[in-house]
Amino acid sequence: MSGRLLGQDASVLAAAGADVGVLQEIEAWARRAVAVPGGTPIVDAHVHLGVDRDGHMLSAADLVADLDANAIDAAVAFPADEPGAGGDFRDANRRVIEAAAQYPGRIVPFCRLDPLRSPDAAMAEARDAGARGLKLHPVAQRFRPESAECIHVVRAATDLGWPVLFHAGFGARPLGPAFAGLIEAVPDCRIILAHGGRGDHRAVAAATAGHPGLLFDTSIASLPDLVTVPPERLAFGTDRPYGDYAQALHLVGTAARVAGWDAAAISAVLAGNLLRWIGPVAP
Amino acid sequence: MSLPDALRVVGLASQAEMALVRRDAVVGALLAQAARAAEGTPAGPLLSEAARLARAEPGREAVRQAALSLCRMGLQEAQADALGRPAGGVP
Repeated sequence: MSGRLLGQDASVLAAAGADVGVLQEIEAWARRAVAVPGGTPIVDAHVHLGVDRDGHMLSAADLVADLDANAIDAAVAFPADEPGAGGDFRDANRRVIEAAAQYPGRIVPFCRLDPLRSPDAAMAEARDAGARGLKLHPVAQRFRPESAECIHVVRAATDLGWPVLFHAGFGARPLGPAFAGLIEAVPDCRIILAHGGRGDHRAVAAATAGHPGLLFDTSIASLPDLVTVPPERLAFGTDRPYGDYAQALHLVGTAARVAGWDAAAISAVLAGNLLRWIGPVAP
Repeated sequence: MSLPDALRVVGLASQAEMALVRRDAVVGALLAQAARAAEGTPAGPLLSEAARLARAEPGREAVRQAALSLCRMGLQEAQADALGRPAGGVP
């Protein structure tokens, strides 16, 4: 038994007693859940590369194998939570940018920063190396989106033309006022709220409704959240290695059926909305 | 699927999802309950296989992650039923 199944090594699942045939059928069924219009690319907005402090890991080679197995064209990738000794993610950012160079046209590199740890130097280094956006995680790095330090890095990223992807899932703090404050401070920012903003979806959707520069990614999002958002504000994502392509495609396909999206809307969610922000995958 | 039946599965699958994320030993019982509650619905085969995996070797990371994927898909199917979606078929 070789290959990957639900984002895992199929031989490991088989050794554990999994019914590989059943899992293969389920994975194929999940992929079919979304009716991908002909010629529509699929771009994953949310992938972590490297080894996270919590033990989750994904290599560039395994990511590309997953992309190939699931007919995904490309993925936006950024470091796992591995800030390094200096806390500034510089080594992890360099590894992601090197991975993008190793697999041209498959990986769009974003850098990850801690707004409290030398962000200007780390951002400049990542920009010069080829980063094309920024990922921030307020829970892991313990800062507030509306803080002066975060506003500073979002303004710097916006000046570079970069979108900024924020973790907006599991966490205790209310997100509506936080992102309203950030948008007020940097009105031209373009932000992607991960996980459909499920950490506080109703409040954050209401607080950001009038801001044109906002997308929710669908990674490990909640279906009731996604079906209440206009599809022009959604971008397909997985949160690999925490999520996988079968589940992520099934979620988007199910949302499309429940909300009644047409083919144009499905294409926009799978890639169009994101590509309008980041440009061609291989610039 | 009636709304009460769908909400029952949503509740159990949501608890099982968090138990899988937290690596909580209660996950086996929760998935078994969710699978029974979902029998005969599109979520049934997904939650049943997740429960079987979780029983097989719950300590192995790849198994946990595969069970999590199946659990989330089962939850999505049950949520879709609760939201009154058009039928999407059974895996």
